[in-house]
Amino acid sequence: MSETEHIIKLKGINKTFTRGKERLEVLSDLDLNIPKGAFEALMGPSGSGKTTLLNLIAGLDRPTKGSLEVAGQDISKLSDGQLSKWRSSHIGFIFQHFNLIPVLTAQENVELPLLLTKLPAAERKTRAATALRVVGLEDRMDHRPNQLSGGQEQRVGVARAIVHDPTIIVADEPTGELDRQSADEILGLLEKLNKEFDKTILMVTHDPAAAERATLIRKLDKGQLA
Amino acid sequence: MIPLSYNVRNLAVRKATTIASASGIALVVFVLAAALMLSEGLARTMQTSGTADTAIVLRKGNDAELSSSIEDPTVGIIRSAPGVKAKSDGTPMAVGETLVVAFMETSDGKGKTNVQIRGVPADVMDFRTNVKLDEGRPAQPGTDEVIAGRAISGRFKGLKLGDSFELRKNRPVKVVGVFSAGGSAFESEVWGDVDVVREAFGRRGVVSSVRVRLDSPSRFEGFQAAIEGDKRLGLVAIPEPEFYERQSEGTTMFITVMGVLIAVFFSIGAMIGATITMYAAVANRRREVGVLRALGFTRTNIVLSFLFESLLIALIGGAMGVVAALAMGLVKFSMMNFSTWSEIVFQFTPTPRILAIALGFGGVMGVLGGFFPALRAASVSAVDAMRD
Repeated sequence: MSETEHIIKLKGINKTFTRGKERLEVLSDLDLNIPKGAFEALMGPSGSGKTTLLNLIAGLDRPTKGSLEVAGQDISKLSDGQLSKWRSSHIGFIFQHFNLIPVLTAQENVELPLLLTKLPAAERKTRAATALRVVGLEDRMDHRPNQLSGGQEQRVGVARAIVHDPTIIVADEPTGELDRQSADEILGLLEKLNKEFDKTILMVTHDPAAAERATLIRKLDKGQLA
Repeated sequence: MIPLSYNVRNLAVRKATTIASASGIALVVFVLAAALMLSEGLARTMQTSGTADTAIVLRKGNDAELSSSIEDPTVGIIRSAPGVKAKSDGTPMAVGETLVVAFMETSDGKGKTNVQIRGVPADVMDFRTNVKLDEGRPAQPGTDEVIAGRAISGRFKGLKLGDSFELRKNRPVKVVGVFSAGGSAFESEVWGDVDVVREAFGRRGVVSSVRVRLDSPSRFEGFQAAIEGDKRLGLVAIPEPEFYERQSEGTTMFITVMGVLIAVFFSIGAMIGATITMYAAVANRRREVGVLRALGFTRTNIVLSFLFESLLIALIGGAMGVVAALAMGLVKFSMMNFSTWSEIVFQFTPTPRILAIALGFGGVMGVLGGFFPALRAASVSAVDAMRD
């Protein structure tokens, strides 16, 4: 596979946190290349740096050292505002705790990323409805999160992650709060997004069954890829 | 931009704190609006007392009728000055009046205050055509009969139709009529015969002021030149609207300054309330803010969203305050006019400008109160918020 086909390119990444006088090196000299259209799972023990790595790739955090090129952009050099704009275009997030806005309906939650685009209101609503149809929730569009089951909430989360057609979907323990059946449904959706819509997906998980659904499993230990 | 429905619904979710914060702001807006309405009411009452084609002549150096005195022979000179309108019978339209104050007990017996007593000539109704007798009959010239203004009739002991009171000790007068004067300050006066009043108060041979009706307002300068140009007279002529504006200046300024000061002091408390509410909102929605930041909303988006929410609380409070202040429009208010040291009755008068100022003040409180919480919300890190 040629270098240009890699959508995520990390070289010599180092991430250190400082707590009081203590310096904690979470990622050290990490290199990682992920090709476009991949569905990769990132596993490892707690504290191994999985979520930190995911946050760096998603532009939520900055490396202490190293080069970080995602979707053709060196995001370590972007300002806070530029990084926000970049995230809104290129990244779709799926969170472990769903993180839906409680006072908004399913459709309004899904519409949120589109508010950062110049799409007219009618088009935004149509796209949000389409995304909810893709995840099988077209009959729950006007429901608020507290009126949905955990599995349904996560499906709304998936719809929110895909509605603006991002380059990469990052999922942090997307099945961590779900029962087996709901987890399978979500993983099935991720597979579908990867295979049918050619989305690049990077998933952090503790669940071996979830990881097996990915096309590649990477293991992280003490801040380095095994 | 974060949808406004997000903020509106969040306010609805935490109704109790929203109403508590809004109530603080409502109080401030109410106080400010009420003070300005009061000031406006007094100014309007005084302004409606003056007409553009009328001039008032006072002793030079006196800016109030109470302290002015003009001798009877001088009244004749004023009446014959150029520009003074003539009646159909050729006599000049002018009235020489004596203004004094009587210390009277309020009808509820809770206090005493000054009431203006105006000694008027027999033809005063011809001069002041907006004065109408609502009840009873006109006072007979040369007798101990008086008529009372609509605003104070019944507010003081002895001022109801048919009642009597002592103008001075052992000088009883009887109220035989109640008059209205288009809501002007005259409605806060008692009118009696000019000779009876000045005799009772030892001011025989002098009047306090002379009012003349001019052919037109444009004749004032000529009239003024004639009156003030003769240095022997020692008089000053002022257009009546300007005279009343000056009369109300001190009191309206006092009310406005007091109202604004009270509102500013109250606003500190209300802003602290709004700030605490918004800090609590930010703390409770830290994770939501983190999610919004992750999705790509900028710090500016977050600041504007929380500022809007705070502004919304302020506008709800502002609307409550304005409605309460509007209800005050139904209330008549009496207070001392500092330029005459007499009771004057007027209404809280709302105007669109006053309501806009009060609402705007509430809005500013909301924005200031929400400013620091909004900055704190914007400083929330998406990574930290979602780790909590």
